Amino acid sequence: MNQPSGVRPDPGLTLLDLYERALPQVYGYLLARCGQRPVAEDLTTEVFLAAMDSCRRGNVSEVSTSWLIGVARHKLVDHWRRLERERRGLRVLGGLAAGCEDPWDERLDALVARDVLAELSAQHRSVLTLRYLDGLPVPEVARCLDRTVHATEALLVRARGAFRVRYQGREEGTR
Amino acid sequence: MTDPFEDLLEPVVPVDPDPRFARRLRALLDAAFLSGGAMPVTAVQGDVVYASVWSPDAARAAAFYSSVLGWRISADGRAVQGLGQHLGLWSTPSHRTTFLSHAVADISAAVDRVRAAGGTAADAVQEPYGLSAECVDNQGLPFALHQSSPGAAQETFAQGEIVYLTMFVPSSQAARDFYGSVFGWTFTPGQIDDGWQVQGPHTMFGLHGGHPSSAVLPMYSVSDVHAAVARVRSAGGTATDPVQMPYGITSDCVDDQGLRFYLGQL
Repeated sequence: MNQPSGVRPDPGLTLLDLYERALPQVYGYLLARCGQRPVAEDLTTEVFLAAMDSCRRGNVSEVSTSWLIGVARHKLVDHWRRLERERRGLRVLGGLAAGCEDPWDERLDALVARDVLAELSAQHRSVLTLRYLDGLPVPEVARCLDRTVHATEALLVRARGAFRVRYQGREEGTR
Repeated sequence: MTDPFEDLLEPVVPVDPDPRFARRLRALLDAAFLSGGAMPVTAVQGDVVYASVWSPDAARAAAFYSSVLGWRISADGRAVQGLGQHLGLWSTPSHRTTFLSHAVADISAAVDRVRAAGGTAADAVQEPYGLSAECVDNQGLPFALHQSSPGAAQETFAQGEIVYLTMFVPSSQAARDFYGSVFGWTFTPGQIDDGWQVQGPHTMFGLHGGHPSSAVLPMYSVSDVHAAVARVRSAGGTATDPVQMPYGITSDCVDDQGLRFYLGQL
């Protein structure tokens, strides 16, 4: 719809108006997926500041909660990539025991599936989260990850395989 | 046939964050709106942005590390020049350690987290180099918070730069609780008893419990560890003979004022 300029509200103001309603949605989305309060708070801060930045640059078509959740998806994927880079460095230097999490660590979701997801590589964790936890169709997952649909489908197959192996390994381990 | 993966679906469930966090973010957002969006857009997790050798006599430390590592010291004796990292020196009678300043995206939120986790923190003040807050952790180790965006992770290190930091603490549990809640760091057991690898900061970081008091020990990069060991010894320090580790050749050293550090030829 065409509106004369000046009638459309400043998208930055729209974002400020939306803040109270959108904050629990964005924070809830991130907390459920990363499981740690300080990380969820930092990522939430990143999401809103990046959103304001986009509003100021004028490259936002619709300021809405679902748009903010989309920004949050990108921040989450970036966060996991960052974590993986750091872990890779540490393995080189210290030869750490892979994948064992400290028991004091706050667990907000006890599902085995979550633990398994957290053990996967950043790529696998990201594609499974977007496809299945978020329920996005494959083309949208592809857009989030900057991949082609075909490459995303192939990645999904590999990620599902990696997930299944670990999940079944866990089940056998508890018997 | 249903796909078992469909059970994973997790719709967005709204969760109210800590109201103090909500208020602070709102203030940041208002400021970003008014300033035209020039606020930092990337949050950080306690990356080390500054490290300072704390010893009884900074001038003596300057002489020692200049001769061992080739550090060039500023005229006021407080800064190491010409490196990709911000390093400095400071005289203090009470500590022999490496004082660290950690980057955070929202300094008042981080100050609150320090206090809630059993540390002490002064209110943030505007310093010439940015917004900073002086803190002490829950086991008496001083450090600082610095509001800034993260630097790029370093891949290579010049001689005299820090490649690894090890924090010695009385209780590793207390340290994990503290740094976990302040910076969101996580910890995985290392190869030695009560040794932990820290995940979160860009600088590679280790934690070791069971020490009488807290201190941070740096590993400095050197191009020839055998030559550097000889320089440590002739400058009045002590150094173990270099040993080959999986990641490089290292030596355990003590400087002429009793500060422990490591050399690493990676």
